[in-house]
Amino acid sequence: MATLHLLSHSPFADGRLNSCLRLLGAADGLLLCGDAVYALQPGTTQLQILEQLPASIALYVLEEDLQARALPVPARVQAVDYPAFVELCGRYAKVNSWL
Amino acid sequence: MKFAIALFSPPHAPASRRALRFAQAVLDGGHEIVRLFFYQDGVHSASASVVTPQDELDSAAEWRAFVSRHQLDGVVCIAAALRRGVLNEEEARRYERDAANLPAPWELSGLGQLHEAAQLADRLVCFGGN
Amino acid sequence: MAKSLLIVSRQAPWAGPAAREALDIALAGGAFDLPIGLLFLDDGVFQLVAGQQPQRIEQKDLGANLQALPLFGIESLYAARHSLAERGLTEEALSLPVQVLDDTGLAALLDQYDQVITL
Repeated sequence: MATLHLLSHSPFADGRLNSCLRLLGAADGLLLCGDAVYALQPGTTQLQILEQLPASIALYVLEEDLQARALPVPARVQAVDYPAFVELCGRYAKVNSWL
Repeated sequence: MKFAIALFSPPHAPASRRALRFAQAVLDGGHEIVRLFFYQDGVHSASASVVTPQDELDSAAEWRAFVSRHQLDGVVCIAAALRRGVLNEEEARRYERDAANLPAPWELSGLGQLHEAAQLADRLVCFGGN
Repeated sequence: MAKSLLIVSRQAPWAGPAAREALDIALAGGAFDLPIGLLFLDDGVFQLVAGQQPQRIEQKDLGANLQALPLFGIESLYAARHSLAERGLTEEALSLPVQVLDDTGLAALLDQYDQVITL
């Protein structure tokens, strides 16, 4: 029963990413959108932590939010559009949005 | 696949637009939306009182058009809405307020509608925050 | 069979209506006899502190709603060990009997439910 976690807050101003990482299951996925994509800012501890997650945990980012913020897509992360986002929801048993 | 979509953010929050684009992609992908449920500050995303500058995205108006066009079940939580001044004609009359700002296609109802939607759907997807 | 729902409540009690509105989702689910779990995470654990005096800031007592949970059939109550520890809270100081879970327990809990709302 893997979970797709959806984060939208900046990891520099908020504890949601840290809390999420604590309870992430081995087959869970993480989709970053909104200001949560700042976690992919090169040269940050946040990106380093994400890149070191086990390969079984898939990392996704909503492409438009990354482009809006002039950020590159790290090799470890898969960029998705809305149709792919919808499709991802079906691939995981449930979606946990950190509101 | 059947989706229940819940929104917790006002129309000026990026999450409101994100939920809208997601909902459009759900229908475009041939899936079904069993219900939209607006809770907490999400009730403002259904408000007809929002005035957006002409060159900015008007999420509340887009939501209204989207729900009407696809004849979706759009429910706004009544307790959350009353607390935030989002009222339909009936509630404006009941509480003797000067203006109503929740015309059709939106309906006011209770949290039971969120639970029912979650039961009917294959996936419950919530949008909120930033 | 009805789908189970885990509500993860992360908001401090007096930061606005968010904590109460999270609890309302749980109580509504209980009223419909749905299998509901409630996890207090991050600042949400502050809701469990005994002896709070919300009337001092003209707020309604959230504690009364928390005490009503078992009456609505909601007995699956959890709190995150790390959230309590970070905030200097001990299990004995809590106003409700909750099951305290470490990180592994939290991941297993999340796995167990069909749906989840974190607010």
